Amino acid sequence: MSEVITVSTRRGGFQQFDSIADEFEEDEDVDMSDVDEGESGGEKSGLQIVTPGELVSEDPAWMRGHGTYFLDNMTYSSVAGTVSKVNRLLSVLPLKGRYSPETGDHIVGRIAEVGNKRWRVDIGGKQHAVLMLGSVNLPGGILRRKSESDELQMRSFLKEGDLLNAEVQSLFQDGSASLHTRSLKYGKLRDGVFCQVPSSLIVRSKNHTHNLPGNVTVVLGVNGYIWLRKTSKMDSARDAPSGASMGSTGGPTGAKSLKADSVSITRLEEESSWQIYVDENDPTITNSVRQTIARYANVIKALAYCEIGITQERIVSAYEASMSYSNSGSLIEKEAMESLGDDVLNAEKMRGSPL
Amino acid sequence: MSRLEIYSPEGLRLDGRRWNELRRFECSINTHSHAADGSSYLEQGNNKVITLVKGPQEPSSRSQVDTAKALLRISVNITKFSKTERSKTSHKNERRVLEMQTALVRTFNKNVMLNVYPRTLINIEVHVLQQDGGIMGSLINGITLALIDAGIAMYDYISGVSVGLYDTTPLLDTNSLEENAMSTVTLGVVGKTEKLSLLLVEDKIPLDRLENVLAIGIAGTHRIRDLMDKELRKRAEKRVANALSR
Amino acid sequence: MAKDIEISTSEAQFILEALKQNGRLDGRSFDQFRDVEISFGREYGDVTVKMGNTKVQCRISCQIAQPYEDRPFEGLFLISTESSPMAGPQFENGNNTGEDEVLCARIIEKAVRRSGALDVEGLCIVAGSKCWAVRADVHFLDCDGGFIDASCVAVMTALLHFKKPDISVLGDRVTVHPVDEREPVSLGILHIPICVTFSFFNPQDTEENIKGDSNSEIAIIDATLKEELLRDGTLTVTLNKNREVVQVSKAGGLPMDALSLMENCHKAYTITERLTEQILDVIKKDDAERNKYATLLSSENARET
Repeated sequence: MSEVITVSTRRGGFQQFDSIADEFEEDEDVDMSDVDEGESGGEKSGLQIVTPGELVSEDPAWMRGHGTYFLDNMTYSSVAGTVSKVNRLLSVLPLKGRYSPETGDHIVGRIAEVGNKRWRVDIGGKQHAVLMLGSVNLPGGILRRKSESDELQMRSFLKEGDLLNAEVQSLFQDGSASLHTRSLKYGKLRDGVFCQVPSSLIVRSKNHTHNLPGNVTVVLGVNGYIWLRKTSKMDSARDAPSGASMGSTGGPTGAKSLKADSVSITRLEEESSWQIYVDENDPTITNSVRQTIARYANVIKALAYCEIGITQERIVSAYEASMSYSNSGSLIEKEAMESLGDDVLNAEKMRGSPL
Repeated sequence: MSRLEIYSPEGLRLDGRRWNELRRFECSINTHSHAADGSSYLEQGNNKVITLVKGPQEPSSRSQVDTAKALLRISVNITKFSKTERSKTSHKNERRVLEMQTALVRTFNKNVMLNVYPRTLINIEVHVLQQDGGIMGSLINGITLALIDAGIAMYDYISGVSVGLYDTTPLLDTNSLEENAMSTVTLGVVGKTEKLSLLLVEDKIPLDRLENVLAIGIAGTHRIRDLMDKELRKRAEKRVANALSR
Repeated sequence: MAKDIEISTSEAQFILEALKQNGRLDGRSFDQFRDVEISFGREYGDVTVKMGNTKVQCRISCQIAQPYEDRPFEGLFLISTESSPMAGPQFENGNNTGEDEVLCARIIEKAVRRSGALDVEGLCIVAGSKCWAVRADVHFLDCDGGFIDASCVAVMTALLHFKKPDISVLGDRVTVHPVDEREPVSLGILHIPICVTFSFFNPQDTEENIKGDSNSEIAIIDATLKEELLRDGTLTVTLNKNREVVQVSKAGGLPMDALSLMENCHKAYTITERLTEQILDVIKKDDAERNKYATLLSSENARET
């Protein structure tokens, strides 16, 4: 942009000044028309793009949602993003922003602080989430009573820096989350590696834990925190019933067969010992599994680099495409990441459906 | 200095601009996507500024918690190599820099919707890589872009520019040579309004000329707002198109 | 100014509601400056300024020093502002790095020193080796708002009032004559900058301030401490009698319409004129007071009788 940026004086306001401005009026090299075109440019894609302070609607009938503010009948945008109109609710979805938790989200987090009867968990949001001592499974089975000694040894369950996966139980008034891990699929994370992507790339779905080819399991936290680990017995048990109908990601969750339940119940006794909070990794992880995990991690980073939404299918498809690079370390190069992204998208187009 | 012809009889300034022309203005956002939630890189003439916005995030200490709204912190780092001559001392704790930080915080406190983010901290770091006059305006523009990039809710753009007064002619967007030779006024204007969020005059200006200076300054900030808006829209369209094609 | 003082919600509401109805707690109108009371100490350059309950003292002192290398023809001039718990519980001892303290010190510095109110070239004794170093120490004694305005009046009055010892130069030898030996000489003052501070309040929502065009923001002159605690924005205009804007500082805060800011500047001018008159007047009176025996003691008189 090397054109001359000239300014002409505005209408009204400073009348005194207009006389001075007139002398120079003819000198102007560039007018402002190029900018004005930009104002309505977003419409062609069907999505209206707005920036802060822009008038979104003059219709008072709309309810004002996030990303907007209003004066009298006018609704203005407060963020840069796309306008979303759902029923009577008008809101602006920012293009970018921190993860904001919603009840039921499956997330991966990191213990930031051990406090009074609660842990504070970094979930990549605006504020830390809270995990109450009463919202976790403690060693000794579900029916075990909590005692004061539990409060004193909170650090032996989860300490600062530990990673865990959990579900958002409820939201506080100020938008921060309260978590729980009262299910065997939640809890401390082991046997794997962590990676982080923008939270906007993870789509909320029924299931966020997936067993991937190569004996690896991925936990896609809705907050953009991802955990890749060696598939455990638990993981394979979870997938076994729906194993017949793999790929279509199963029917309703309730349809899990009796067999799965019986496995979980016996496992409950077994796992609800101190085992669930141990810090040691599984000693049987082989080198090849480690390499597969590393490859998956790089594949996910490549997808994030190309700003492609991350799903199980895409990870698998990108993983397969990445096999043409024998050294998984070369996947972090720009060209490799870009071609990987293209491969995934092309493969999807071939199949005809994006999901 | 006074031997330089600041404004020639033909109406040209030292760098060949006319009185009402801005300097080259280029900006980009999301330049440091791994380091911060929002970032921008801005070149206004020879001013080069990197801005990083981190947050809203959990405050690092209890004293920073405000139960009603977010706390905004701005730190300005003027690098030692930002001028032609390397400065011997760090500018970190100079009163001038402290004053700039305070002025910036107070400017954005009223424009960012802090009440939407209670109990959080928004940390803004500005790095001045190169300066050539009118740095305060460039800082404001850089912060505005980075805040928008971070998706933080704000009422409107704030754009800044400085205007000099040479005899009776106001000169828009002064560089450092002009700034040293005459008195300058720095403005920070809210969106496309005539409301001034920031107004700094540091040298003598006849009271009756101030109005003209403000008028051209406001027009200049509106123009800068449009340039920033254009860049943001370009980025937004790209992203939206990206998302739709996938 | 003070972060640590917190005003109760009901009192805050009362003050704001009163402002909306054009009233202030001390009965002043919005653009009425408090009466300024200037008094002098025994020595030259010792001035105390009172504005309502605000009290600021300024003391000028001087000594001989070496000029800066890059400015051999100029003397040194330093303004130091000092706040102590004496002025109010919100001030900490020895801590002058708070936002408001820095801002206040910077504005006074810009208004007086950078604007060239003091003729620093007149302080030169021997170019490059000796010059006067003038120092203004401002102490906040009691705080009820309007520190900047009061300090500026105090510094300017003190500079006008101060007299430095007379000197005579013979080659490289400089003789400083004690005050009781030779009449001391005044400093060269080029203009008298006066600061006027406006405080802004937003009677409506932020949305109205940003997008509305009612321009209903309230601007009051010379706020008291309580008003300062509640204000949304502030503007300090420094002018002198020659209709020159010396310095303007609106460091953020409530966005204000440009035209109303201009209006404020014009309002400030009338106050500037009045205060300048007052300062010159008290200086003249004090001078007459100090020299009331001059006519009796001078030798001219002796000859007449």
